[in-house]
Amino acid sequence: MESPEVILRMKELVLGYGQHLVLRRVNLEVRAGERWFVLGPNGSGKTTLLRAVLGLVRPHAGELWLHPELARRERIGFVPQRHDLLSSIPMTVREFVLLGLVGTAVGKREAAPRLAWALETMGLQECARQSYWTLSGGQRQRALVARALIRRPSMLVLDEPTSGLDMATEETLLRLLTATSHSAPCTVLFVTHSLALAMRYATHAALVLEGHVIAGPQQTVLTPNNLVRLARRDTDGLHPLDTFPLLLSLPTESRCDP
Amino acid sequence: MIHNFLSSWSLFHNAYLSGWLIAVLLSLLGILVIARDQIFIGAAISQASLLGIAAGMWIGSTVTFDLQSWWRSDIFYAGMGGLCAVLAALLTTGGGRRDDEESHEALTGWIFLSSASFSTLILSHSPHGREEAIRLLSSTIIGATRTDVWIFAILTAATAVALVKWYRPALLVVLDPEVAQAAGLRTKRWDTLFAVWLGVAVGFSIRVSGVVYTFAALILPPLIAKHLCREARSLFFLSPAIALLTGMGAFVLAHHYDFPPGQMAAACLSGVFAVTWSLHRLRAVLSRR
Repeated sequence: MESPEVILRMKELVLGYGQHLVLRRVNLEVRAGERWFVLGPNGSGKTTLLRAVLGLVRPHAGELWLHPELARRERIGFVPQRHDLLSSIPMTVREFVLLGLVGTAVGKREAAPRLAWALETMGLQECARQSYWTLSGGQRQRALVARALIRRPSMLVLDEPTSGLDMATEETLLRLLTATSHSAPCTVLFVTHSLALAMRYATHAALVLEGHVIAGPQQTVLTPNNLVRLARRDTDGLHPLDTFPLLLSLPTESRCDP
Repeated sequence: MIHNFLSSWSLFHNAYLSGWLIAVLLSLLGILVIARDQIFIGAAISQASLLGIAAGMWIGSTVTFDLQSWWRSDIFYAGMGGLCAVLAALLTTGGGRRDDEESHEALTGWIFLSSASFSTLILSHSPHGREEAIRLLSSTIIGATRTDVWIFAILTAATAVALVKWYRPALLVVLDPEVAQAAGLRTKRWDTLFAVWLGVAVGFSIRVSGVVYTFAALILPPLIAKHLCREARSLFFLSPAIALLTGMGAFVLAHHYDFPPGQMAAACLSGVFAVTWSLHRLRAVLSRR
């Protein structure tokens, strides 16, 4: 079977802010339809990696190649980490999701079916006329995803979209995302602290550790040794419930290491 | 009362038209000001404009004694007011801010206080200057000319067209700059453009209508509309409508009872705000039961 097309390639990529280098020699290749989960301690450079894909951080060196379809960013959907936006003006869910069309050439006629599809996909069709500010945390997060989906993205970039959500809501969101990436094929780049989610939903993973990125298919990256390295670094970020079973599954000498 | 008002039209029509156009113009820009949750930038920019006018008068009287000189003309004073308003708007609405920098609120407070104090100090020893400062603070509007009407008509039309075309990107830049950047918008350029436009609008308005009316027209109509709307889009229709209708009513009342029109309009808008705010609170309480 022919392997899917490459849509994102990083070759010896160096990223940072000013003189401060955050990531060095990043090499990875993302193909259409893959679900990449990016894991790493706080401040390791996960968000920097995403910002580079979004064109918000310029590489210091190396190559960052995006498929021509993605180069204009019209087909990239971005879900930011927080949903506590300024509540200074009234806004319905419908209006909020339509903001996702900014920067695209979608006209009024095409916007209506896209809006209906995005709301339905995220299970928000009943809330369309409701105020965005009256939604629960989980619903707001789904509205953020719907706002990204309305662009009909070839690539969906999510920066810790489940932070602050309870486990049930987190699970619901991930199931919806997975179903969406199957029905409307799109590649997913998902930054998270949750190993459990990565284990269940990722096809590929990128571990960001000490300025380097270990990237590849999930089974080859989320190995016990790599996870121990991650758990040692990520004392404040990982879900305790995630690391506990992982550490239990490791050989005794690994568990007892200081 | 209305007949009485209409009879004054031939004498004061430039003042009335300027006042209503200023109300519509500023009530549109005010939506983006309240969306930023930076209500007091209106007051700070107004005061900065007053400082510019005061500085213009001081420069004019220092450079020449000739009252007909360009240095002592309305155009020069308005230009100085506009320049200071633009600078204040750029400082208070400037985009990204690092954690170790002063907050926008701190800068707004500093601009307001330094502008208010320096404008008074600059004009305190000039009899004409003090008279002018009092006129600007007391919002008379009466001195507006045909040129003012044209200036505000052009500014209002340009603002309305721009908002019809770009209200969604403008809102996204204000509400979620990170996503706006990811969508390909240059948020710093948007912020700068907004600051310059706001500074120009406030700078010109102060010269004609004074601080109280300018600040009231910028802030109160969108705040009232916010109580009545469920959608952001409706704000762009309701806010100028409220500004215009209240302005018309206020000018009629001011003419009838011989009150200053600027203060009357600000008082009417404040009254309408109190009513809609009370209704909004009442509705919120009832919906919780």
